[in-house]
Amino acid sequence: MAGDSQSPRGEPVGQQARSRHSSFAGDGGGASLNFRFEGQVIAAREGQSVAAALIAAGIRSWRVNESGHHKGALCCIGYCFECRCRIDGEADRRACLTEVREGMRVERQIGLG
Amino acid sequence: MARSIVIIGAGPAGLAAALEAERQGARVTLVDEGQRPGGQIYRQGSPALGGKDVAEAAEIRRKHDLLDAFCRVRARLDYRPNTSAFALFGPREVHVATDERTQVLGADAVILANGVREVAMPFPGWTTPGVMYAGGAQSLIKGQRTLPGRNVVVAGSGPLPIVVAAQILRAGGKVAAFAPLHPVTAGARNLAGLWHGRGIVLEGLRYLATVMKAGVEQLTGFVPIRARGTERLESVVLARLDAAGRVVKGSEREIACDALAINYGFAANSELAAMAGARMRYQQLTGGWLPEVDSFGRSSVEGIFVAGDMAGLRGALVAETEGRLVGAAAATAPEAFVKQSFEQSWRKELTRRRRLCEFQEVVRAMLAQPRALFAVADDDTIICRCENVTVRNLRFAFSAGHLAPNTIKRSTRAAMGWCGGRTCLPMIMALAEIHAKAAPSAMMTPRPLARPVPLSALANPTKGQSDAEQDR
Repeated sequence: MAGDSQSPRGEPVGQQARSRHSSFAGDGGGASLNFRFEGQVIAAREGQSVAAALIAAGIRSWRVNESGHHKGALCCIGYCFECRCRIDGEADRRACLTEVREGMRVERQIGLG
Repeated sequence: MARSIVIIGAGPAGLAAALEAERQGARVTLVDEGQRPGGQIYRQGSPALGGKDVAEAAEIRRKHDLLDAFCRVRARLDYRPNTSAFALFGPREVHVATDERTQVLGADAVILANGVREVAMPFPGWTTPGVMYAGGAQSLIKGQRTLPGRNVVVAGSGPLPIVVAAQILRAGGKVAAFAPLHPVTAGARNLAGLWHGRGIVLEGLRYLATVMKAGVEQLTGFVPIRARGTERLESVVLARLDAAGRVVKGSEREIACDALAINYGFAANSELAAMAGARMRYQQLTGGWLPEVDSFGRSSVEGIFVAGDMAGLRGALVAETEGRLVGAAAATAPEAFVKQSFEQSWRKELTRRRRLCEFQEVVRAMLAQPRALFAVADDDTIICRCENVTVRNLRFAFSAGHLAPNTIKRSTRAAMGWCGGRTCLPMIMALAEIHAKAAPSAMMTPRPLARPVPLSALANPTKGQSDAEQDR
């Protein structure tokens, strides 16, 4: 698991991350929602992409490729395909283009997934 | 009968072209990969997110003016967000796809406004999660209201890194170091150019002031030579290089960070133009392989037009002005198009574009990309991230005589992965230049699909014509 995404008590980690200003949506925008990454509950904002929500929670890697290299976001706009991961059981979904939803299940993709 | 036009890309060039073509009575289909119009420079976040826009006021105004104008005519256009053009064989054969379906569009004219993508310099560790493009980091701020990290190093050439560093700070983030490759004054002796771009210069100075005021450590001339970390970025080593690309002894600085935002230039998304058979030329600093066009965006293929950065990097202001010119030209039947009279009636816009292009000379001085940068990558550095092709693999291919992209691709698998070579090809060309003295001689033959399309979408074609072709 990525370092500070861990939370011993199992409460959402994104909220704390935000107070350390990784996300600046502010109180006015984006209703809070929770999703899971590798089983860990993570808080996000409605309208955020999966990639943005993971980054805001301090997570940088959500795929391990066929050679064992960790992968995260690179272009953040959809063309590099580095950020592919498993979302709700489906492999190769681009985290940067997929809007995060309440209850979404995001998993680190291993190899071809 | 009104002309039908398919426009690809909804950034400033595509939007302005759509507005003008529609105004001239053409039936317009606007295809865009984004969820919302605006492209990269005028990227809009989800309305649900809210949050403040950290761009300069003048840029926000330009963005809203264009997007508002588009909103007013949107109902009269066939606007297709979340749609990729994945093949182009002429104006009558434009293949587009959504996640669910594909369709072949046909029109009297096609305007390509696909813009540019970012180019990185590769160095050991550059594939570590947390290293991202500067424009990518900016898209997180613009579109996601999310900072790329808690402590970010920003490095690169040209004006973008300045803007990104400032926007991170304005969004409440921390910039651990700012490493512009060239002094920000690189083009300052071009007074005429500066004058023509004075508005933009002012915006740039304001961004720079944000960075200076925050007391961010400025490491001019430094480039990243190593990124440390496995699952996440932990630190970056920055250093100065000599003319051969060797690290200047004693100049190394290791800086702790959890994100590194880099940009060392741009490459034009010109695959579709080449696929359609347009004559191409190579110009490294403005985007690599570019379609040859005349002053109204006409390529060598009848009915295929190009507008904005894809015809050569010149920024959003040029893109918008040029979009109008090209939209008007494309809306005119070829037999009715008289260049001289067009030049007469569009004199003001043509002058504006010319002046803005003079300013781009100033920007270009900051964009210079010494080939020595690419000597930083060692043999184990991955160049093609999709297929794990390293510098060693590429050097072996070079030594076996594979120097053009097509044969490099066949012999190494570089550029055969998910991204279609968008990330690695500009770097491979630079490496072929420094390791094998090979000048760029040919573009990789662009083949369909220019974008990955799900088989289920290919198996689900929508029959019939685009709305642009139907009489309304």
